[in-house]
Amino acid sequence: MGLVQRPSPVGKKAALFVTCMVDVLYPHTGISVVRLLEHLGVSVHFPRGQTCCGQPGYNGGYHQEAAHVARQFLGVFHDAEAIVVPSGSCATMIRHEFPVLFADDPVRLPLVQHLASITWEFTEYLVNGLGVTDLGLKLSTPHTFAFHDSCHGLRMLGLGQEARSLLENVGNAQIVDLIDHDECCGFGGLFSVKMPEISSAMLLKKIEHINACPADTIVVGDVSCLTHMNGGLSRQKSAKRVQHIADVLAEGLPR
Amino acid sequence: MTNKANEFASASRSAIQTPEMVAAVAFATNSAAAKRNIAFEVNGTEHGEALRQQAAEARRRALRKLPELLEQAEARMQANGIEVLWAKDGEEASQHVLNIARQHNIKHIAKSKSMVSEEIGLNAVLETAGFDVLETDLGEYIIQLAGETPSHIVAPVIHKSKAEIRDLFMERLGMAYTDDAAEMTRFARRHLREGFLKADMGISGGNFIIAETGTLCLVTNEGNGRMVTSLPPVHVALVGIEKVIETLDDYATLIQLLARSATGQVMSVYANLINGPRRTAEDGGPERVVVILVDNGRSKIYNSTYAEALACIRCGSCLNACPVYEAIGGHAYGWVYSGPIGAVITPLLTGLENATPLPHASSLCGKCKVVCPVDIDLPRMLLDLRHDLVAAGHAPLLWRMGLRGWAMVSRSPLLFGLVGWAAKWGSKVLPKHRTIPVGPLGGWSKSRDLPEFAPETFHQLWAKREKGNDHEQP
Amino acid sequence: MSSRESILKNLKAARSPFVDVPPVENRREVVLQDDLRPEALRAHFIKEAEKLSCQVTICASAADAIEQLLALLGDDRLLLSWDLPHIPLPGLAEALEHAGIKIAAPADAAVRVGLTGIDVALASTGSFILFSGPGKPRAVSLLPDLHVAVMTAGQIVPNLETWSATERANQIEDFRQTSSVLIVSGPSRTADIAMQLVLGAHGPAAVHILMLP
Repeated sequence: MGLVQRPSPVGKKAALFVTCMVDVLYPHTGISVVRLLEHLGVSVHFPRGQTCCGQPGYNGGYHQEAAHVARQFLGVFHDAEAIVVPSGSCATMIRHEFPVLFADDPVRLPLVQHLASITWEFTEYLVNGLGVTDLGLKLSTPHTFAFHDSCHGLRMLGLGQEARSLLENVGNAQIVDLIDHDECCGFGGLFSVKMPEISSAMLLKKIEHINACPADTIVVGDVSCLTHMNGGLSRQKSAKRVQHIADVLAEGLPR
Repeated sequence: MTNKANEFASASRSAIQTPEMVAAVAFATNSAAAKRNIAFEVNGTEHGEALRQQAAEARRRALRKLPELLEQAEARMQANGIEVLWAKDGEEASQHVLNIARQHNIKHIAKSKSMVSEEIGLNAVLETAGFDVLETDLGEYIIQLAGETPSHIVAPVIHKSKAEIRDLFMERLGMAYTDDAAEMTRFARRHLREGFLKADMGISGGNFIIAETGTLCLVTNEGNGRMVTSLPPVHVALVGIEKVIETLDDYATLIQLLARSATGQVMSVYANLINGPRRTAEDGGPERVVVILVDNGRSKIYNSTYAEALACIRCGSCLNACPVYEAIGGHAYGWVYSGPIGAVITPLLTGLENATPLPHASSLCGKCKVVCPVDIDLPRMLLDLRHDLVAAGHAPLLWRMGLRGWAMVSRSPLLFGLVGWAAKWGSKVLPKHRTIPVGPLGGWSKSRDLPEFAPETFHQLWAKREKGNDHEQP
Repeated sequence: MSSRESILKNLKAARSPFVDVPPVENRREVVLQDDLRPEALRAHFIKEAEKLSCQVTICASAADAIEQLLALLGDDRLLLSWDLPHIPLPGLAEALEHAGIKIAAPADAAVRVGLTGIDVALASTGSFILFSGPGKPRAVSLLPDLHVAVMTAGQIVPNLETWSATERANQIEDFRQTSSVLIVSGPSRTADIAMQLVLGAHGPAAVHILMLP
């Protein structure tokens, strides 16, 4: 799907695409990513002027508007060596949907395909890109976690095991199973706005499983799903919370 | 069948408020999906995936040369003694059936499940013309008694609880009270058996037509499909033109994957290969077999970027996997086909303007593609249809303006920063529960707290860090 | 223009989709089977047929099978049956006559037991295939509550794929000449009422296989 080959990111500068939601809602997640990468000796830079990948418009069918936004991304990241994204969903947009969006734009298509080939979701970058699963981390106190597999990361990028391997190697972290961990939380971007009742029904089922899960923290790779699930959990006055994998891992960095 | 797909929003809302129905659907789809997954894992994930690819290729190879295969299938069916008629649309297909029924002076018609016949509203046409029509699949029979429409491709009565069916049988057929599904089934069997024995014409659908042999293929678990195609002297099959496959070898793959995908069975109980009317000296079997090849919008799909949708073998596994279908059942989709495949083919078969909400009835979680035995990229098609909706001007003005505004803001780092700043301060006035009662986020924040904006954006934190300040620790 | 012509014209005018779909190469069999020795196939068939809720009785001889059949008939004095030459049980006619059992007309829906042979059996799925034809009415395996199928272990082939390959190798003329080829996998069933599995929806509620060596 537009991905001819994946050049190894080892030894290359990592350009962080922090994503629009992390930028304004969860900047600490971006900081966690940076700290973890620097902990591994990766040189991180943050290309200025980045905004959004264009996915909200694209998923709504607004290709023209999405392409408009995507061009901003292309401009900002055109000379990146490796792009790291703390979101399976935005990484999917860049890797699978940009080539569709620019299929009829022969001028930009080569750049689009190149950027698609150097874009990595955060855990994928660490495990499959750098070949690291043990970051040498340890939590100060024991904690139990369970994973929710975000749809795009799981089914479009084939991810899931990467984040689990990383956390398994963190001292004091115990992983348990969440029922239906691969089932959608009901977010779906504009879907949850356009069809809030159906989305809520899906969310309530997810919350039921989370509440039944022995873990206090549910780990995800996407802050969009996180926003959705935490919005429901806090409304339901549940003590459980969803955290981004980068924040969970960063807790284990040496102080 | 009347198309009410444009009423999806209100229909799905009322569906969610019917907890009994939702529970029945969730139970049934979850158990079917689990059985399907076991059936595909039995020889390992890699093997299951390879089979899906094999089936996907078989369907695509057939579609690639669809017109030639149809001609071949027609010629060989005719050589086998099957009559072949063609129908551009539902009206013509119904007319063919009426003509045949009148030629034979038919009174009683027994039908086995056929989605094409639902599509074209055949029962209503036949009943208006004075024929007695009996649906014989147990689920379809219950639907017919209740005056409803099927809510699932494979399990038409998935939305009804046992108690509802019992009450229906008691009220309409005088069944004595029972809570036993087996007893209810036996009761229906006796009723339907009478119907089979007096039927003078059988109508069925068709799961595949094998071009190389001129064979009509039907599957049934209950055996009603066998009754309908064996007992009455006339058998008419309504088959979509996309159902043709190349070879008996392809059939061997597809028929097994159909059963695995639909119910997790290794094979459906009866897989029937019909090569024509009864042969000389044969005792039983229809004297006349007619296959009606129905287009009804399919050739239009064939000539579009959605041709892949024609690969569908109607197993229903995308419905069983879909969390949206699980939450609302099938009727909300407003037409014959529901779930992800319905959200794709209803607009394609009946016109985009007649099904504008359906392409949005998905969180794009992608499960439907993963379980599809012929690997139809349903999420991709939903995305494309959404784009078609926008391009054809079916997007609401407010959304259009909103998205245009979003694009303008996201194109400009300066505006992006400004709007983020404004949203942060704006959100500070939100009530305790972090809801916005009106506007596009009204429905969202009804059951979810809105997130809080961070005091400083990542952009700001990074700028500080570059100036030499320490960045904030999370 | 007829509908036939206009439909075909529309299809032919379209850009052919899936031009890059590869030709068939190594086809995978749906069920992986590594042991194809006759005794392994027999064991596989029995295991699968039983999973489908079939009863399988291994009979040492035709006489043994006839005895089993008579036991299954109980007090019934009417039987639906294929013509006896199509059932591999020498001495059956005499035995039935001796027991006072008559063969009813195939459309007699009141008869409890139907007796057939089979044409092929598939080990991988526990299925058997019935070819319709003179002396082999379809109703016999359809209308009664109990279907008794008599087969020999030699009729078992590995799977549906092997069968289809054999038919194709034989130019599939026999196949095409058969009005109805039926692959049976267990007794009739439904789960339409609240997903509860019920056997005997319309067809036989029980299938009893008598297997000869």
